[in-house]
Amino acid sequence: MKIVTRQVEGQPLTVTIEYPEYTESVRGLVRRIESLDVSFSASADGKQMRISISDVYYLEKVDRKLFLYTKGDVYRIDAPMPEVERITEDSDLVRISRTCIMNTSHLTEIRQLKNSHLEATLDNGEKLIVSRKYLRDIKRRF
Amino acid sequence: MPIRKILKDTCILAALMILAVFACSIIWSGLTAEITLVLALFVLALLITVVNFLMDEFLSLSIIVSYIVKYFVFSAMVMLFGFIVGWFFPSNFWMAFIYVGIVLVLAFAVDAFRVQRDIGYINDHIHKEDKAS
Repeated sequence: MKIVTRQVEGQPLTVTIEYPEYTESVRGLVRRIESLDVSFSASADGKQMRISISDVYYLEKVDRKLFLYTKGDVYRIDAPMPEVERITEDSDLVRISRTCIMNTSHLTEIRQLKNSHLEATLDNGEKLIVSRKYLRDIKRRF
Repeated sequence: MPIRKILKDTCILAALMILAVFACSIIWSGLTAEITLVLALFVLALLITVVNFLMDEFLSLSIIVSYIVKYFVFSAMVMLFGFIVGWFFPSNFWMAFIYVGIVLVLAFAVDAFRVQRDIGYINDHIHKEDKAS
């Protein structure tokens, strides 16, 4: 596979895929790129905004409400967790516990604590508890 | 990993073979003691699997505490089930603790090893991606 990148000023980010035959791997590649374009409608301080999936660090359900965490901000989302999981199926977002979905592209380390709980560290220093049950799902993203 | 897949597929195939053979035996010769025992084991396995799933889903315990809790819960289930289907009598019910203990020690060892291996795999890939970028 040949990768060509070039800067085109004044144009939105455009990905062109050239293929000799539309195979399953091409379909997978398209799905993966499409998943990078997902954004969430979120609110904070009464303002509505769109958050790109790449800016999401993790999502957490607290008291039946879903919150989205970016590098330094917190937003509220009005979608149920299964719906978020469905639209981010081919992305780097993966469930790490019953109440939390993490973006593995911001993951810097996973370690086992002395009490044998698992802890994920993100590149903004935030630490999340990982359920052992979901460790294999994280592994599949790499 | 092919060895793990082969072992897993072997277990599934063996279970299917047992169920298929016993299904035919039930039609021809009815429920014998052996068939009843195996079917009871399948029912018990289903109950334990469901409870195990629910505990993993809703309890956030450390690996050791989780296995200790499971040990007592599953022992109680095996004892209760054993009394109902007539495996245990008041004199030998304590054997449930031994059966469950053996299975859980093996499961704990496999689980602990797998967690360490998966953590190593994930961290290796993160470091490789960091170096590449």
